[in-house]
Amino acid sequence: MTGPTLAALLTQFAPLAACAVVLLGLRARPRAAAAVAITGMAVSFAAAAGLVASVAVPDRPLLAQTVFLPVDAAHALSFGVLLDPLSTVMALVVATVTLAVMIYSTGYMRDDPGYARYYGFLSLFGWAMQGLVLSANLLQTLVFWELVGLASFLLIGFWFERPAPAAAARKAFLMTRVGDVGFLLGVLLLIRALGLATIPDLVAAAAPGGSLSPRLVTVTAALLLMGVIGKSAQGPLFTWLPDAMEGPTPVSALLHSATMVAAGVYLVARLHPFFLAAPAVMHGLLYLALATMLATATMAMVASDIKRVLAYSTISQLGYMLMALAAGSTAAGFFHLTTHAGFKALLFLSAGIFIHHAHTNEMRDINARDPLAQRAGVIGLVAGSAALAGIVPFSGYFSKEAILGALGTAAAPWVVALAYLGAGLTAYYAFRMVFLTLAQARGHADAGAHADGDASGHGGAPGARAMHGTVLVLAALTLVLGYLGPWLEARLAPGEAAHGPFTVGLGPAAALTLVAGGVALAWYEFGRQGAARVGFVERVPALARFFGDNWYLDRLYRATVIRWATALSRAAHWNDEKVVNGATDGLASGTVGGGRLLALIQNGYVQAYLAVVVTLIAVLAAVLDRLGLVR
Amino acid sequence: MTWSAAVFWLSGAMALGGAALAVGLKSIFHNILGFALALVGVAGLFLTLGSDFLAAVLILVYVGALAIAMVYAVMLSYPLDTQPQPRRAAKVLGAAALSLLAAVALFVIVLGADFASSYGLIDPETSARWVGRRLLGDYVLAFELISVLLVVAMIGAVMVARKARMAKAPPTPTPRMIG
Amino acid sequence: MMPLSAYLTVSVALFCIGLYGLVQRRSLIAMLIALELMLAAASLNVVALTTLASGAQGTLLLAPVGIGNRSSVGQVVALILIGVAAAEAAIALSLFVAIQRYASTINVEDLSELKG
Repeated sequence: MTGPTLAALLTQFAPLAACAVVLLGLRARPRAAAAVAITGMAVSFAAAAGLVASVAVPDRPLLAQTVFLPVDAAHALSFGVLLDPLSTVMALVVATVTLAVMIYSTGYMRDDPGYARYYGFLSLFGWAMQGLVLSANLLQTLVFWELVGLASFLLIGFWFERPAPAAAARKAFLMTRVGDVGFLLGVLLLIRALGLATIPDLVAAAAPGGSLSPRLVTVTAALLLMGVIGKSAQGPLFTWLPDAMEGPTPVSALLHSATMVAAGVYLVARLHPFFLAAPAVMHGLLYLALATMLATATMAMVASDIKRVLAYSTISQLGYMLMALAAGSTAAGFFHLTTHAGFKALLFLSAGIFIHHAHTNEMRDINARDPLAQRAGVIGLVAGSAALAGIVPFSGYFSKEAILGALGTAAAPWVVALAYLGAGLTAYYAFRMVFLTLAQARGHADAGAHADGDASGHGGAPGARAMHGTVLVLAALTLVLGYLGPWLEARLAPGEAAHGPFTVGLGPAAALTLVAGGVALAWYEFGRQGAARVGFVERVPALARFFGDNWYLDRLYRATVIRWATALSRAAHWNDEKVVNGATDGLASGTVGGGRLLALIQNGYVQAYLAVVVTLIAVLAAVLDRLGLVR
Repeated sequence: MTWSAAVFWLSGAMALGGAALAVGLKSIFHNILGFALALVGVAGLFLTLGSDFLAAVLILVYVGALAIAMVYAVMLSYPLDTQPQPRRAAKVLGAAALSLLAAVALFVIVLGADFASSYGLIDPETSARWVGRRLLGDYVLAFELISVLLVVAMIGAVMVARKARMAKAPPTPTPRMIG
Repeated sequence: MMPLSAYLTVSVALFCIGLYGLVQRRSLIAMLIALELMLAAASLNVVALTTLASGAQGTLLLAPVGIGNRSSVGQVVALILIGVAAAEAAIALSLFVAIQRYASTINVEDLSELKG
């Protein structure tokens, strides 16, 4: 086994080992559990860094696979690792964010009774996500895909004693399941056509000269995309993500912004040539992602819960990534994935600082409790929002420019125009969030001076160092990550023409103008002294209601799909009760009844017995005689 | 009509008539008398078949011993002082139907069978001497067994009918140490 | 000499009359009478058959029967049957006496404890 292979296995299995140790042995020792989990993740981080250094930097791809379950002469189940710049960089991103979240959680989840269980589940997620990223064939990917879904379920419903998190976990699981049905079908079709091929072989087979027919490629691409839509919360299957904010904030930072929901995007990037061989599907994806991006941007503009703003923002940015990939640019999409992981995790963790202090998610309530005293939170929130809006020199600017550039070359002009509009909306809602949370409201200008009794404790509060430190590190990262772009582009798409952030032209100027406009509008409505702190959309109540309620999609689902499914399940229950149970009960009582009936013959009267015996013998004898057997 | 035919018809009538009386009449004594008549008829039938010894044995055993024993048993156990209960029509009809069914079945078999009959010839060797020779010759095992059976039946009958007096006898005293 | 079928008819009729009595009569002793009738019919049957239908070759009760050797092995059988009937009737009658002592009845419809 070569060095990189060993490092790849370590990346995956160190968190698994930590998970096993924590969940099996350390449930009663929370601090030890946290230490073990963090150690496991640190090992994974180090291994991933080593992988980047040995595989991604010199651009030396590597595939190692081993058979672990032979099925028959031609087929076998194999487990392997696929190492190239895409997978190794993604592994490093996952490891970094997970490690940061774990360290942050030592402060955030400090007093939670399920502390050890939390770290066990986080390690489980770490293993599953790393496994997904490094997997070598599609079946392996599927297995880890489902495992990531499991980890999400466990973590969203972490406070399962309360009804809302439990319901949210169920909703998340079921909705992603709907997408996963398509994913499974796609994988099965491909296995049927190609056997258990590795990903590179699969991609080669989909190429114009390969063994898969174009129609099969289109069908399977559409099916695989269903899984992406479910997991990355696009299109009709997005409503689970805002509800998933019921989970702890670090979980939202890790799973539902940076890594798990990005798994869909990662899959498209991983199989990008495969998907590009089905251009019709990619067209559909482009429009779907565009629609999702704009719709969720509108929803973020009216949300009052800070985590929901960030959730909608995540969906919107995922839409951007998928648009870039649909337009044909692996590098742009993946670059945005990387930077988004950084700044979205930053935003969530900063929000977490405020939430932890004010014990509420509502921005206006946080605002009332002296948010400016949480300096690290302020820095994180502002830096993250700047990156989200796409302001130079934060990382988000560079990746968004790359996307807009890719769209500009490959998509229709109206699509590009809408994408720019989306950038403006992003800036608006991002800074709406900042100002609503931080800017002093009318009448509260003096309240900040008389800080609440507990305002003094933050700097030295136990665990605060972990939280603040992590946020500051991530904030620093947002300043640096942007310069990764060209390197990534060179590694991921050597043939693509270089476009994007460093070419000064119309694109970046237009984008920056729109961004500035959005920020200014937000400042005007929320930020300045004496502002009404009501958005222009919120002034139209019907519109505010429409945007605020997921564009009434949940209501639609409740009225149709859920009602039908409930009716079907009620019918199935009736069938189970009456038909299946009824049949077995009927069989049982029939047997008993039949027995009782027959028992009437056993009435104790010898003469009755005699009559039965003689009758039977007489009939039998006559029959046998007629049949000629009595001779 | 030849003598043997007349004897056959008479004996047959006696057998079946007596049987009808034996099962049909209400009084148990009449039943026993009918039984005796029936067996005399059967004995007559045996005579027509040339088994004179068997006919004699039949009368001796069945009529002479069995019927008398039945009278004894009736005296000892029959509720003679109570009025006999009326017969239930359903039971009568049911029994008649059953009997008819058995008759039909048997007739179907019997009359459909193909016996290599050679009626007309009576073997001269049908006398008591011949039967005796057979009993103590080829069939001595059966003879011995039937004797054992009869002994067992005798003893058994005595034991079963005895009053259970022994159960009430005082238990034997447990032996005690002398001194 | 009557044909074999005549004797068989008589024997079957006697048997069935006995069967009727066995099933219909309530008193145990009456049932016993009917039972004895059935046994008598059986012996009549055996004797008639062996006397009149032993033209076929074959063995009956381990002794060769055939033309010239046909006769009344049936008589021996009938004799044994009579002995069995006597023994059985003796025991049955003493049983009835004991039952009368035990259950105060010899009505077979009252003696029906063995039921399901």
